[in-house]
Amino acid sequence: MSMRATAVGLLALGIATAALPLMAGDYFVGVALWLLMYVALTQSWTVLSGMTGYVSLGHVVFYGLGGYVAALAWGALPLIAIVPLAGLAAFLLAVLIGLPVLRVRGPYFVILTFGVAELVKHVVVAIEGWLGKFSRVLFGAPDMITLFYIMLALAAAATALTASVRASRFGHGLLAIRENEEAAETVGVPSVRFKLLAFGLSALVPGMVGSVMVLRSTYFEPQQLFDPVISFTIVTMAVVGGSDDVKGPLLGAAGFVLLSELLWANAPQVYMILLGLLLIVFVLFMPEGLSGKLFPPRRRGAA
Amino acid sequence: MDAILSGQLLAAALVTGALYALTALGLNLVYGTMRLLNVAHGDLVMIGAYVAFWAFSFAALSPLLSLIGAGALAALLGAALYYGLFQRMFDGSRAAQRLEANSLLLFFGVSVILQNVAALQFSGTPRGFQYLSDVYRLGNVALTGNRIAAFAVAIVLCFGILAFLRFHVVGLAIKALIQRRDAAAVVGVDIERVQLLTICVGFATAAIAGSLVSMTEQISPFMGFPFTIAAFVVIILGGLGNITGGIAAGFLLGALETYGVAVTSSAYRSILIYGIFVLILLVRPQGLLGGRRIVR
Repeated sequence: MSMRATAVGLLALGIATAALPLMAGDYFVGVALWLLMYVALTQSWTVLSGMTGYVSLGHVVFYGLGGYVAALAWGALPLIAIVPLAGLAAFLLAVLIGLPVLRVRGPYFVILTFGVAELVKHVVVAIEGWLGKFSRVLFGAPDMITLFYIMLALAAAATALTASVRASRFGHGLLAIRENEEAAETVGVPSVRFKLLAFGLSALVPGMVGSVMVLRSTYFEPQQLFDPVISFTIVTMAVVGGSDDVKGPLLGAAGFVLLSELLWANAPQVYMILLGLLLIVFVLFMPEGLSGKLFPPRRRGAA
Repeated sequence: MDAILSGQLLAAALVTGALYALTALGLNLVYGTMRLLNVAHGDLVMIGAYVAFWAFSFAALSPLLSLIGAGALAALLGAALYYGLFQRMFDGSRAAQRLEANSLLLFFGVSVILQNVAALQFSGTPRGFQYLSDVYRLGNVALTGNRIAAFAVAIVLCFGILAFLRFHVVGLAIKALIQRRDAAAVVGVDIERVQLLTICVGFATAAIAGSLVSMTEQISPFMGFPFTIAAFVVIILGGLGNITGGIAAGFLLGALETYGVAVTSSAYRSILIYGIFVLILLVRPQGLLGGRRIVR
């Protein structure tokens, strides 16, 4: 499939999704919102982790921070200011923690990102406890249709961001870092700056997504918003879908949201067990993911 | 201030430290010999705890006996995972290159499966039982019998394994594998068998630690996670693959946690553990105590 065909396909998909609230009831809009959330999160995740190979197992920290910012600012600021503010906060957090964290490589980076996310979660829990707030209820949150369109925009933005990074000089630099960081530096890739920017960009949209989701649930509770299962789900979706092009996260997110709709309500444990099994099967037998299997990469010139 | 210097806290720190040392020992062995990052390690603790709980509830069997069964069960699981998942990954240089990162994802999958199978089978409700809960006094220190027993078993196992690694020929082969894998093969170590043995021993010690833990606190399907984190903190503190350093670091973490909570509050326990974890990875990933091996 050529770049143009993919772009046209994605655009058609976006328009069809935008028409959904006109045709379907609240239940389907709710499911679609959930799906778009994971598309946005997983696409963003691939900007750092798919392209540089620095696998982040703590991406929920940006989502959670965005939600926390929205919970604090709700009532004081309009929605149109809150969403970008949440994204900015997540971007800044990523750049701030990225400088020390990105020095650590490979599996240590993976467990470190996880540790940082848990640390931030427990710090937020402690702050909220210290303030005497164990949860915050957000009154007068926008209706679901509004949030749905914001989320659609975020999913589209994350997809566009990932695609444009991938096509850029910056993206090629990131891929070079993944293949061999020393060699990349030798040929002039500013690896520290590139990794930091990629980390920041991969946090930007998740922060905004968190702010939308906290308004959707009209409720802020740190254990729920910083739930490590979200980080795990993002990684699994990317591994199963494939993170070598923009179609992978779409396939991964769609597959798992469908699966969770079938199983979550009645058998949440069965859903989690399947998640674990699929992760194992794909890591062992199909490391290129669904998208790599369905659309094998062509040689240059053919595309 | 008196409370800080009391023998009571010291005893608590020693008991926690011995359990951390035993839990982390298995993780260290598995990582040291095979470079597998077992993030499901704490879930083996959970399995051991449930074995002890059910054996006690149904057969009134002492956890100090059923821990043998818990260890055997975990060893079987280790062997199954070794043959099912990891053996294929040791051949072929490309797979071996990504082994560390992939093992982490694979074990993450295993961890999620174990937790949720346990939740499905045993329900999420925390459970507990009373065994050896009489209080004994040693000087001005009061300890329950189960804590004394847990401490004793953990110490005996830790030092037993240390002695095995130092004096037995198979133990020496394990150490050789930790130090130089390729060189170990050259001098005739049967790498396959040593790896299989190591994963079985590593898994078994974690489950035994779980049986010991079940005597002193409530158990639940999701209890394993803090143990995984604690075990990683310990082996990173002690230097990855450094077995003696890891045991010392177990006691160090036990002390840091016990005294840290005593001077602040139990609400900060998680912040303390994760704080140490993040700090040590950032500042000194080669470990405080070891430092021979350089982490990439």
